[in-house]
Amino acid sequence: DPEKYKFRTMRQKLIECSDVLDEQIELFTKFAKEHLNIPDTEFGDPTIQSQADVYAIGRIVPDSPQYDGFLNTESLAFETSRLNGIGRRIRLNLEQVEEVSLFCGQIALLKGKNANGDYFLVDKILDIPYPDFPLSSSDELSEYSDLLNKKSSKVIVTSGPYIPENNFDLSYLTKFVEKINIDIRPHILIMAGPFIDTTNSMVMSGNLPHFDNLKIQPTTLNELFVKLISPILKKINPSIQVILTPSTRDVMSTHASYPQESFDRKALQLPKNFKCFTNPSTFQLNETYFGNSNLDIFKDMKEVTKGGKTTMSNRFDRVAEHVLQQRRYYPQFPGSIKKMTIAKPKSEDSRSADSKIYKHISGADLEVAYLGLTEFVSNISPDIIIIPSELLPFARVVKNVIMINPGKFVKPNGANGTYAQISIKSPDVKDGSLTEIPGEESLYLHNVWKRSRVDVVTN
Amino acid sequence: SSGIHNLEPLETTISDMERFKDSAKFELNCPNCSHLFPFGGIIASNFYKMCYNGVQCKNCDHVFNMIQFTSQLESVIRSHISLYYAGWLYCDDSTCRNVTRQISVFGKRCLNDGCTGVMQFKYTDKQLYNQLLYFNSLFDMEKNKKQLLKPLYYEGDIDYPSEQLAESAILALTEQNRKLFEISQGVIDKYLDNCGRRYVDMGAIFDFMMN
Repeated sequence: DPEKYKFRTMRQKLIECSDVLDEQIELFTKFAKEHLNIPDTEFGDPTIQSQADVYAIGRIVPDSPQYDGFLNTESLAFETSRLNGIGRRIRLNLEQVEEVSLFCGQIALLKGKNANGDYFLVDKILDIPYPDFPLSSSDELSEYSDLLNKKSSKVIVTSGPYIPENNFDLSYLTKFVEKINIDIRPHILIMAGPFIDTTNSMVMSGNLPHFDNLKIQPTTLNELFVKLISPILKKINPSIQVILTPSTRDVMSTHASYPQESFDRKALQLPKNFKCFTNPSTFQLNETYFGNSNLDIFKDMKEVTKGGKTTMSNRFDRVAEHVLQQRRYYPQFPGSIKKMTIAKPKSEDSRSADSKIYKHISGADLEVAYLGLTEFVSNISPDIIIIPSELLPFARVVKNVIMINPGKFVKPNGANGTYAQISIKSPDVKDGSLTEIPGEESLYLHNVWKRSRVDVVTN
Repeated sequence: SSGIHNLEPLETTISDMERFKDSAKFELNCPNCSHLFPFGGIIASNFYKMCYNGVQCKNCDHVFNMIQFTSQLESVIRSHISLYYAGWLYCDDSTCRNVTRQISVFGKRCLNDGCTGVMQFKYTDKQLYNQLLYFNSLFDMEKNKKQLLKPLYYEGDIDYPSEQLAESAILALTEQNRKLFEISQGVIDKYLDNCGRRYVDMGAIFDFMMN
């Protein structure tokens, strides 16, 4: 419900934040008890000494509130809910576990024992069940397939920045719009921000050029968007639906926190084939469920890993699995921050890193009290999840979900970037690509991962 | 530490000097020569002067374009909002002074063993709101004319300006820069309008009457 994202920002209350953090643990406790056949009596408070093994659910946290940012398997602790352990934290001993992939903010289900009151000796880290997939009836599916004349649907995904760090060259965007209209002609074009980034070095330093092609120079960054970007986007063929999702660093958004309200289409001066969605958002194109979150969890998640199987596996897959298990698009807490050193310690006073002076640049900007809006809608896993990242573009199938990072549209130095092209074969109940779930009325798994092809294309 | 001395006066009765005492300066970068200097409205400064069409860098004589000025203003506002959302907390116990971004499921509880202090946001929503109001005051025509702005320099500072501005010059320059001021205030209003602190939650205040 996009209305729920229209809360006023810059008014966080500590109590509301902690309520949400507590609810996250309680939610998974309820959930684990329902889905894993563990009797109630085997759950316990891991922070108190006990002779028996217990199951415990809590949040992975550092063992010291002042940790220096680099964690390892010996510096993790476990936070209990108010109900289960009066919110106490207990150090984790992971010596007996061979494979570990944990991160701060993760809600984990552990089995182990607190023999002496000092630490919880973990015997096993349990997998939290993956969410269910959406289903459709055969009538719905044939309706969708008729809508497209049984042809494949084509979706293009791009992600900002669209402007390099050193000049205002918009030729890639101009050429891209031509290509979209003439060659690609997708059904849907999803464009994620930032369109104009408040942390772009030209914007931060005021180093903006005179725009020779404009009669009246823009006076604000908003006008810069309307005068430079909107005219190019308006040229997109009106038969193509365009979905815009903001970044918290987008100039055109007044809502600078995550979860984030959608852009105002009228303020962007864009025509009606443009739809503005919230960040994150879940939406359906025919049968396919899309999840789209514009906050870089692939870059930000700082995992603590151990074990051959874990460390040899693909990191993108592990992060994607965590996102699916946690059922939230940005499960890390606290969110990342980006800062810049502006003064180094003097040589005689370089004992501690604290003597450095930092300037805050940007961050995940989590609105903690509203993190509920970043959870998977109805606890259902989208068929396709799009999370733009600064890291290398990719498309991978993880637990039958297609995970896509389209990559940056332009590179900071002005070189051409990438976008993602998805084609999804029209659903056909008879061709065996859909899995039937028998019941009173037969329903089908979409199996979008079996029917799709994703290409990461260079601009 | 409580008692009558901690009572704060009504917000509307505080002078800008008091209200903005903790507000950070608006630091400008000259797009031409990369000199960094604080901007404090139409005041005397060794680094910039206001001319009839905007801010001029005293180092290289470059006159800022409108957008060269407003883009920096907006980007500074956004970095303040982002710093606020970084959610730094500190413990009010003077023997602890724990500073962290960890939040306990009991929000106000300090995470240091045995500490009974109360955790609070380091950058409060009130500070952020005041910071936005401070930026807003720099482009307030009346406050500029009446020279009611929070000063950037005090006598004795290294950068205390050698020459002062005449009152007539301030009045004229304020009028001449009306457009820049209005547009800059528009940039700040964009954020003030979305700021929860600006709106009092009447429901919460009068909640007791419903019960």
